[in-house]
Amino acid sequence: MKKTNAWLFAIVVSLALVLSSCAQPGAAPAGTIKIGLQAPLTGDFAAEGQWAKQSVEIAADLINKKGGILGKQVEIVIADDASNPKDSALAAQKLISQGLKQVIASYGSSVTAPAADLYDENKVVSVAYGSTAVRLTMEKQRPYFFRTCGRDDTQSEFFVKFVTEKLNAKRIAIMHDNQDYGKGVAEDAMKFLQPYIDSGQVEVVYYDAITPGESDYSAVVSQIKAINPDVWFFTAYYPEAALLLKQAREAGVTSVFVGNNSVPTPEFEKIAGLDAIKGSIHLNEPMPQFLNFPESREFLDAYKAKYNEIPGSIWSVYAADALNALAAAITKAGGTDPDKVANAMRTMTDAKGITGPLLFTERGDRKDIPYYAYIYNDQGVLELYWPK
Amino acid sequence: MSEITRNLTQRISKFQDGKGTPSVDKKTQLILLAILIAVMAAYPFLPFVNNYWIDVGFFVGIYVLLGLSLNIILGEVGLFNLGQAAFYAIGAYTTGILYTQLQIPIIVLLPLSALIAGGFAFLVTSPIIHLRGDYLCIVTIGIGEIVRITALNNPFGLTKGANGITGIGNPDFGIFSITTPTQFYYYVWIIIGLVIIGLINLQKSRVGRAWNYIREDEIAAEANGIDVRHYKLLAFVIGTALAGAAGNIYGSKMMIISPANFTFMESCLIFVIVLLGGLGSIPGTLLGAAIIVIFPEIFRQFANYRLLFFGAALVIMMIFRPGGILPRRRERAGFRGLGISKLPEDENTLLKEVLDSGLSTARQPEAAQEPTLKTKAHVHPPPNGLVLETQRVTVQFGGLTAVSQFDLTIRENQITSLIGPNGAGKTTLFNVITGIYRPLSGKVIFMGEEITGLKPHQITTKGIARTFQNIRLFPSLTSIENVMSGPHCHATNGTIPSIMRSPGQQKEERHILETASFRLHQVGLWEYRNELARNLPYGKQKLLEIARALASSPKLIVLDEPSSGLNDKETEELMEFLTKLIAEGLTILLIEHDMNVVMGISDRVSVMDMGSRIAEDLPQNIYNNPRVIEAYLGKEE
Amino acid sequence: MQMLPEQLINGLIIGSFYALVAMGYSMVYGVMKLINFAHGDLFTLGSYLGYTILVFGAGWVTATFGIWGGVIVAVLGAMLGIGFAGLILERVAYQPVYRAGRLPLVVSALGASIFISNGIMAVWGPRFQAFPEVSIPTGSIVLFGDFRITTLKLVTILVSLGLMGLIYYLVERTLFGAAVRASALDRDTATLIGIDFRKIIRFVFFVGPSLGALAGVFVGLNYTRIIFTMGWTYGLKAFTAVILGGIGNIPGAMLGGIMLGIMEALFEGFVSGAWKNVFVFLILIVILIVRPTGLIGEKIAEKV
Repeated sequence: MKKTNAWLFAIVVSLALVLSSCAQPGAAPAGTIKIGLQAPLTGDFAAEGQWAKQSVEIAADLINKKGGILGKQVEIVIADDASNPKDSALAAQKLISQGLKQVIASYGSSVTAPAADLYDENKVVSVAYGSTAVRLTMEKQRPYFFRTCGRDDTQSEFFVKFVTEKLNAKRIAIMHDNQDYGKGVAEDAMKFLQPYIDSGQVEVVYYDAITPGESDYSAVVSQIKAINPDVWFFTAYYPEAALLLKQAREAGVTSVFVGNNSVPTPEFEKIAGLDAIKGSIHLNEPMPQFLNFPESREFLDAYKAKYNEIPGSIWSVYAADALNALAAAITKAGGTDPDKVANAMRTMTDAKGITGPLLFTERGDRKDIPYYAYIYNDQGVLELYWPK
Repeated sequence: MSEITRNLTQRISKFQDGKGTPSVDKKTQLILLAILIAVMAAYPFLPFVNNYWIDVGFFVGIYVLLGLSLNIILGEVGLFNLGQAAFYAIGAYTTGILYTQLQIPIIVLLPLSALIAGGFAFLVTSPIIHLRGDYLCIVTIGIGEIVRITALNNPFGLTKGANGITGIGNPDFGIFSITTPTQFYYYVWIIIGLVIIGLINLQKSRVGRAWNYIREDEIAAEANGIDVRHYKLLAFVIGTALAGAAGNIYGSKMMIISPANFTFMESCLIFVIVLLGGLGSIPGTLLGAAIIVIFPEIFRQFANYRLLFFGAALVIMMIFRPGGILPRRRERAGFRGLGISKLPEDENTLLKEVLDSGLSTARQPEAAQEPTLKTKAHVHPPPNGLVLETQRVTVQFGGLTAVSQFDLTIRENQITSLIGPNGAGKTTLFNVITGIYRPLSGKVIFMGEEITGLKPHQITTKGIARTFQNIRLFPSLTSIENVMSGPHCHATNGTIPSIMRSPGQQKEERHILETASFRLHQVGLWEYRNELARNLPYGKQKLLEIARALASSPKLIVLDEPSSGLNDKETEELMEFLTKLIAEGLTILLIEHDMNVVMGISDRVSVMDMGSRIAEDLPQNIYNNPRVIEAYLGKEE
Repeated sequence: MQMLPEQLINGLIIGSFYALVAMGYSMVYGVMKLINFAHGDLFTLGSYLGYTILVFGAGWVTATFGIWGGVIVAVLGAMLGIGFAGLILERVAYQPVYRAGRLPLVVSALGASIFISNGIMAVWGPRFQAFPEVSIPTGSIVLFGDFRITTLKLVTILVSLGLMGLIYYLVERTLFGAAVRASALDRDTATLIGIDFRKIIRFVFFVGPSLGALAGVFVGLNYTRIIFTMGWTYGLKAFTAVILGGIGNIPGAMLGGIMLGIMEALFEGFVSGAWKNVFVFLILIVILIVRPTGLIGEKIAEKV
């Protein structure tokens, strides 16, 4: 008889699941515009997801205080993708099933890619905020896909310009973490360095990956010390950057450390410590604290008022700008029709965001993202370094 | 104590009423199964089931396939494999690479991915399959990491590194291709349906039983004629091939694969699916996969706490239901659970048929009627009347000589006893004869043929069966299943006929069952046929072990202290039974401490002390041999 | 050519962390035949406990006892706390499951691991935490050439080696250690000769996790950065070290840990960082093919 119970149990469970799916919210009540946010609220990049959520909610508050979009209040519908491609596909399907026509999605290129395909197939306009792989826009045309962040190659190109024109470095070390983002930047950097390598102007003396998630990088630090490059470009995330830099300075490595746009965060400063970060240079789009647009000040003030700090990374600010871009496009299109909104995204000329004008190319890339090199001064505060 | 016995008899009496199978259960089960299938089929069209929930259903399907794939390795054979994601990855990458580079259709790649994953598993597990549980476990973790990191490092530009492979196509059947969530849902579940039918057939065949014997007791399985290495590798190959197929389906659905899909955490999830559902239980795997996928989806609102709950739930679950949610219940299924078609409804009818057909004489060489189970040993009479001979066998353990230059001769149709004080090396010699130890020097000759260095299962197949000093049954299998391991080594149908349930395979399975039924009846345990071996009292377990050995139709049966732990009456019955076996044409070698048994039934006695033979003679002469007295009682000063 | 000795010392440092964590795995395995998957997470918990002690007590502890005083308080506090956490874990998650056999125990351990790591996330948050800079000892000395090592790392190595020596002595040279080893060999016989098996279990579940906690606090001090998932990384490596040395064998775990650390450093330093873990696992597999029970694991002949 027990077996029967077990079978019954199985059926009850499956029925319960079916019923629980009925608990999904139905159609949007009139008077609001629902915009989805797909973010890694759990998993390895949970912190980024939380920041993105907070930033987007602040941006939505600001929009709503000014009367919303087309007179309607914005409501953010959140789906967690756990920073994993499978959950990303499910999160996307969830938002699509709820009838959303515009979403902000997501952080990490290999997580964004499957979701972007789904959004595109279902004619949902999606705007990525932390997915910089070139292939997202260049491999195939996704008519409904946009991103507010830059592209790996823009950054890599800037790096090459920076080391050859400003630093006049000859011996360069490039280190990545074998992950989507870091490796992308590193490969592109190699590509743009190639002419200089061929002409003998620079030499790449180190090109390898570290294993992310570990704590002790002294083996690779010893190697860097022995090679002693002029410039040491680390293309991946801040947790490893902080440890590497700290351990390298402790071991007496004096090479110029160049980090990318995901490195200079409060966490980075805390983990590496003042002694280590002094004099390290970071390539970045204009950072929030250096932005002088009225929109950026307004956003940062509101964020500070609520969370008593500024967003932990630039990506969450791009997420907020993704909302701003969508708001502007919906306003221009006069509604949420995806074709019209996508068209408006491509053609709008006067949308202003926290990170500057929100302009997009035909393929969905953000136009004219300027890059700057920032340096930590002796007090551990970032200063603009180049170009001034 | 009496409480336990009463309980046991009550439980057994349920199977004694002539039916043995609770047929009401079967009907309810079928109805429930039909409802389940109907719900599953209608699921995409149920109100409020949107594409999101259909996709959830699809991913449940992927994890069901993965769970089933690991269930073969972990559930059926008990091999700790925490690297199943590696084989899933191999399948997905095979699909990704061959589709994008050579444009081979996805549907062709489905079997190909399975084949390559299975082939890869064969190559990498062959050298390490003999490792003990936890060592194998870490090696599989290592394989998982090696595959993932290799994919990350983009060797030869094939795997595209961390970006992964994009642009994988959809399964295309020519007339239509599978694109929508609903189509994918049906696609994966139809494949699962086919796989489950195949797996159930396999589970209920000699292949599936061989896997279970290994899981229950590897040494006993090998000693009963199961080629342990072969069946472990087979499980790995079939299991990983299934994971490879899952990789193909996953890749064609997502159209993009990257190493992030195939982490150690993924392997752990698959592992948990199998254990949550119940080892070796197919319905359990279905439920386990559903829980693993759906639980986090439902609790996504509590993002920060859902894994906390999940962890706690796992612990609580193991405390209160350690066997999993839907464990396989063999004892309830009766003979019907053995998966042999056209068995008589009443199990006693089967026994009657067996007894009437004269199978009782089948084990005798002249009367061997069933060609499938006949052994060569029965056909050729041994030269010089010697069934077994050891010639100057020496065994050393780290410099310590356990058996020294030992000669033993066993004549046909006789009972030979090997006696000696504790630690004399008797069991060690047994282990040499049955192939568990390899002697340092010397030869073992069986029926005129040298068998030194053969593996235990090969020796069993040649016609030597054994029992163990400490009973080694297959505790969570039923008595009949225990005994069915005996005829295994003479049967020939492998994986494919078992999955197809070919007529030849069915005939052979039935014959295995008949042989086992006969032996079970012969030792007087027929009424306990559907009881789990571990629930039998000690004396009956000993008898069951003898029945199991007899079922391999041996020429020589080697019994290690059969009377230990038996009371006087049981010992008496045992002696009578052994004498009967001699009458039936068997030859017996005994290790025995009970001198009444030794002197009562032995034709010859060999005495061992400190690893050497000190006497071999007729029983009555042994009594008076001064060296024997000295060995047992110590030298008179 | 100072790269080689430099990398050897780098390997020794990381290896001593592996060894400390590995000893906990090995002790528990020896007695219980259980892979305590939650051990890595107890290590993390130890790290967070040390962090909390330093954050909340940093002011007055450091003021009263100096910076090293703070370190000692944090280490001892974490070891004691995690020792008790180990006992609770055993009592709650393992003891009720013993009778069910080995596999349910493994699942329970996996569940406990997920529970602890996510519990840490729920309490301390999903973001990286950094040990307070004021409570981390500074200073470094030049060992040879221009190879500079922080005083803290030197202390880490010395403390680890010292503790390993102590545990080695305790387990291999004392009567109580003999009882532990006897229980590892044969539980029934050990019970028969009057060894209190529960006491042995409590011992290994207290000492093993404490050693992990020690490693956890030192990881935090040396590398500043801690996160709730770090138990996986260290746990997996430490478990590899255990198998490398021979499971259930405490000197084996120490040797395995240190060897693993050195192999990693040498491979990363001289060949390739990207392929490091592939290399580590390949070596492990090769060693197991040649010696199926690890480097100094005894050959186990099963009694038949």
